[in-house]
Amino acid sequence: MRGDDSGATGGGGVAAGDLPRLRRGLPRLRRGLLRLRRGLPRPQRGLPRLRRGLGTVLGCVTAAAGALHFLVGGLALGPFLLWPRTRAGALDLLTGGVRRLAALERARRSVFFGDVFPEHYRAADRKVLRYLAVRSYAGLLCALVLGLLVFGAVLAGILGYGVLRGTIGWDELLTQVLLGGVLLFLDVQGLYALAALDARTARECFGPSERELLRRRIEELAASRAAVVEAVDAERRRIERDLHDGVQQRLVALGMLIGRARRGRDPERAGALLLQAHEESQGVLAELREVAWRAYPSALDSLGLEEALGGVAERCALPLRLRFEVAGPLPRAVETAAYFVVSECVTNAAKHSAASAVSVSVAREGALLTVRVEDDGSGGANENGGGLTGLRSRVAALDGVLRVHSPLGGPTTVTAELPCA
Amino acid sequence: MRVILAEDSTLLREGLVRLLAEEGHEVLAALGDAVTLVREVGEQRPDLVVVDIRMPPTHTDEGLRAAVEIRRRWPGVGVLVLSQYVERPYAAALLAAGAERVGYLLKDRVAQVEEFLDALERIHAGGAAIDPEVVRQLVVRTTHGDPLARLTPRERTVLEALAQGHTNTAIAAKLHLSLSSVEKNLNAVFDKLELTRATGYSRRILAVLRYLEA
Repeated sequence: MRGDDSGATGGGGVAAGDLPRLRRGLPRLRRGLLRLRRGLPRPQRGLPRLRRGLGTVLGCVTAAAGALHFLVGGLALGPFLLWPRTRAGALDLLTGGVRRLAALERARRSVFFGDVFPEHYRAADRKVLRYLAVRSYAGLLCALVLGLLVFGAVLAGILGYGVLRGTIGWDELLTQVLLGGVLLFLDVQGLYALAALDARTARECFGPSERELLRRRIEELAASRAAVVEAVDAERRRIERDLHDGVQQRLVALGMLIGRARRGRDPERAGALLLQAHEESQGVLAELREVAWRAYPSALDSLGLEEALGGVAERCALPLRLRFEVAGPLPRAVETAAYFVVSECVTNAAKHSAASAVSVSVAREGALLTVRVEDDGSGGANENGGGLTGLRSRVAALDGVLRVHSPLGGPTTVTAELPCA
Repeated sequence: MRVILAEDSTLLREGLVRLLAEEGHEVLAALGDAVTLVREVGEQRPDLVVVDIRMPPTHTDEGLRAAVEIRRRWPGVGVLVLSQYVERPYAAALLAAGAERVGYLLKDRVAQVEEFLDALERIHAGGAAIDPEVVRQLVVRTTHGDPLARLTPRERTVLEALAQGHTNTAIAAKLHLSLSSVEKNLNAVFDKLELTRATGYSRRILAVLRYLEA
């Protein structure tokens, strides 16, 4: 027993050494995965410190250039800036230079710090001006702090040399080290703060800041939420109409047939009426099934999207070619949205477009499901019509995009891109 | 009797035409919209018009507006309005000009062929035919803290039947009561509702309905 135990601990000793390391690594791995999922830029931990240091030093040089530009440009253009007639031109000249310097800063951030900025984002002139002003100030300050660091290093060297030569006593050394340590701490602290400021100001100028991204997202969500409520209401109204104008009328007619049969004094006539009533009841059933299917196709739950779309093809008045290239299961909400995009567009094509054929393609590439409905009809689909607006909100609710291309004379193509995350 | 129909559901319209024809009525016209209805009535002067409230083009209240206009211009023409569901304002608008030769029925009632034909006869005879469901809702809405609460259950049923437009004889047959007992119940109702005895038959219905609407 004991021997077994000690053997196990001995054998596990190797693993026990690895385990804490693994455990320490896990949170980092998880954070990394989370960032990957959210599509956030990776922190630049992987980039060598030397490179970042080089970028910081270079930042001091560019800051000097920026300050020089402001100084010289300001002095040279100052009078023209004050005179209203030449103000626009002078400002243009000054801003042109500022933009060029800002582009340099952007490149510096990208190369040395690995920042990723949106491609085509262009900040307003005022914003760039302000950025370069802040940047120049911060850069010069950074140069000062770096200078102090170098100065401190030189002093430390002299101190060390003095200790070696024995000219400095213990008490004096202790005081110097204590003082130097505090100053070093303050200096490094300042460097960190300035680096953070540099990164933040760059992000604010060259790309939407986190706050702006959040604000935009909130706007998007509010809009899509309102649209979803609207779409749900519209759908309810449609179902109500379907039931009242279709099913209810037919049931009343059916009841009337039976009532007439009951009143009929002639048995043969009553029989004929009952037969008619029987047929009518089949019709009502079929209609009820149709309404239910339009409200929600039950096949979607039990048999999946491909089968449900097959049902659309079957009931479609036009020849429909279906290409379905989706491996693996899709999220339920995405399936439903895809189904309604297809069924609504196919119905529209059959009703309004005078098309002779429709082709539907559903394909998944990575985490994106693309649904495409094309007809060869006369085009001119009304993008703001009830049907397409409802579809757009349905797709938007899933963070997807619906595009309608329908020039007069046709053909009409509707594409929906649905993320399957 | 000579009838004009206006109903946009083809199925129902055809069914009604057949039914009326079988009962020996003459269907002068069967229309799918309310616009031509008023013109047809002006030209042909039927005894009775059956019209759906919701009709093309807007499917809101075209039929009702046509019915109100017909009642205003040709008071001798009976009007039966068919409705999808109970819409109190519509019923009130229809009855605003009196309760002679007028009816408001739910569409479902058409399937109860006997009741439907009975309603037609009543309207033709100068009476009213209000859907039991309409009456029930009116009664339910107005029973909170008012004289109706003082009615006995029997009196209430008699009142409901009366409000639907039935004659005393019909009420007696319907509720399996003797004629005198119906009259006794009704007198009790009128006393409790403080209605004067001087008014005529249809005035009574009107009074009851007006009272219920308030």
